[in-house]
Amino acid sequence: MHNYLEILDRANDGVYISEENWDLEKIAATARRLVKKYHLEWDRNQVVSVDPVLADAIFQAGFEMAVEVGAYCRSTERIIAFRQEELEEGLRTTPQSLLMGAGKDIRSLYARHLDDERPPLFFGGTPGTPIPERFFLANVISNVQEPLIDLATCGTLTEVDGRAVRTGSPMEIVATRRELEYMHAALARVGRPGMGMLAAQSSVSELGDLGAAQERYLRPCDSHLVPILNELKMDNRNISRAVNSLEYGMINASLPCVIVGGLGGGPAGSAVVNVASFIIANVACLADYHILHPIHVRHVATSTRDVLWVISAVGQAFARNAPSIIVADIYPKSGAGTKELLYEVAANAIVNAVSANHLEGCGSADGNAPNCSGLEARFMAEVGLASHKMKMTLTEANEWVLKLLPHYEAVFTKEGGNPGLPFDQVYDLQHVQPLDFWQKMYEEVKTDLMSEGLKL
Amino acid sequence: MDENKLIEEIALAIIDGDGPIAANNVQAALESGMDPLRILNEGLMTSAAEVGKRFDQGEYFLPELMLTGRALKAAMDVLKPSLTRIYSNDASQARGKIVIATIQTDIHDLGKSLVASMLMAGGFDVTDLGVDVPIKSIIDKAEEAQANVIALSCLLTTSMPYMKDLIEMLKARGLRKKYIVIVGGASVTQAWASSIGADGTAGNAVDAVKLIHALLNAA
Repeated sequence: MHNYLEILDRANDGVYISEENWDLEKIAATARRLVKKYHLEWDRNQVVSVDPVLADAIFQAGFEMAVEVGAYCRSTERIIAFRQEELEEGLRTTPQSLLMGAGKDIRSLYARHLDDERPPLFFGGTPGTPIPERFFLANVISNVQEPLIDLATCGTLTEVDGRAVRTGSPMEIVATRRELEYMHAALARVGRPGMGMLAAQSSVSELGDLGAAQERYLRPCDSHLVPILNELKMDNRNISRAVNSLEYGMINASLPCVIVGGLGGGPAGSAVVNVASFIIANVACLADYHILHPIHVRHVATSTRDVLWVISAVGQAFARNAPSIIVADIYPKSGAGTKELLYEVAANAIVNAVSANHLEGCGSADGNAPNCSGLEARFMAEVGLASHKMKMTLTEANEWVLKLLPHYEAVFTKEGGNPGLPFDQVYDLQHVQPLDFWQKMYEEVKTDLMSEGLKL
Repeated sequence: MDENKLIEEIALAIIDGDGPIAANNVQAALESGMDPLRILNEGLMTSAAEVGKRFDQGEYFLPELMLTGRALKAAMDVLKPSLTRIYSNDASQARGKIVIATIQTDIHDLGKSLVASMLMAGGFDVTDLGVDVPIKSIIDKAEEAQANVIALSCLLTTSMPYMKDLIEMLKARGLRKKYIVIVGGASVTQAWASSIGADGTAGNAVDAVKLIHALLNAA
């Protein structure tokens, strides 16, 4: 497709279908049929699949789904259809490397391969997590000061100067610009002003995104989100985000948060929907790279067995069939100040490192509360790099995850979850350093993993 | 077909999410003179509860719940007139009328649909208004439907203030005491629900059904 505005034409002229019928007849029925057709199955004890045939089948099924169903525009209740050759072109032309950031802090974000010699990159921050303004800056600093962190992201400001931010209200513009001011201030404070960002997280509607597309806020060398709604849906708001990048040139990160146990059914169907979402996003979101963030239908977290399986399956599917830049969000169930959080982070980091994904995190405590800190971002990067340097195989990664799961799996059935503590109760805000008890927990978990053979 | 066999067929159609077969079997059961309340309780509610249980155990997923919700609706369309005629009080009225919506500016559908499906499966009369529904429309629809429960869903932290606005609007219109208002969604906590004056919150769809049962029984 050579003119993106053609998407708008298709959204207006496409075949009408009600949203309920889209969900059931297009998404659920197609996913179910393709799972059967390609004999896709997951095994709860094979969290990291070692079967290349399965990875290829998931890719084929996802491609078939993308061609067959296309995308749905919620604003017009029309199907946005794509021709097979358009989707093939999208896969062929998807960037293999992207320069993010500027000056000495520039990084090349690249399409990873399985067994890639190059290490994964790490986005440090708390993607989308609501963070109070009073410690927003310190929270960002806690992440971007970590030497292993390559790129920056952040949470969402839900209040500015004591005023609640309501989606779609003028305060959203204020919040998004304020967020970007804090981001630049944090990067300057740690001496990394050119670090590339995935930001404007406070822009829930298109308003903040539009308001931040200026050099002093979100630079063209930074990236912003162009979400796909569950499942395979766009709307005028999200299309506006893609349009906003056309002349200005921001890097577009697609974000389909496929629900595992949702319309795609179980893990296998969800993986198929996720592959289809990325293929559609190349064209519909003008995606330069993709955020991989499956969500568990009941537990939210990315650290359940089935969600980890989806993450690995999707990463492997693309690495083997159409290498693309994929960055996986790490959203653990547990929050800062708990050992379980660190074990969850380790499992996510290992799975992603061996499955050809880059890493972003952490949205600790399900990204629901400001119970997150830079220490777990450090741990994510350390474990991810260790897995890479050890040349960990898929088989070894699976063994590692099976060893890690007993350390945290109980949190999924724990009443009230395992939210831990807010950032200001695990970090010294003045010096932006972990408090002793949190540092000690980190060291104990690190020692434990080293004793098991992880070369941290 | 004997009564037990018919009940079994109805239950199977509900579990399979097959609306036309469920409706046909309910019609056949009524024509055979079966007690409508037995059809409701043993044919529809028991099987719907089974689907809810399978979902909770991770055996079933959202599509199964949605299809069961559809099948229940088709079956209830056939059954309702008989229930109303015989008992002058349909079962859904006894269980509560619920208006459910994802709040203004939030377009997240799945959590809300999940709760709506579970409530339908639980025998409630549910009006699902969809997503991004303005607070005025939610209140107007609740009035129109003569509902007694307003259920609000929200994923986005920055859309949550609109839940508070709805409760304030109910107060301003003198309607607050008329409705049980429950709120839910990934970002909603018990503390926040209490702070805005909601009647309750639940962490998942299964608990939402239990919560509404408890609140209606206490009312």
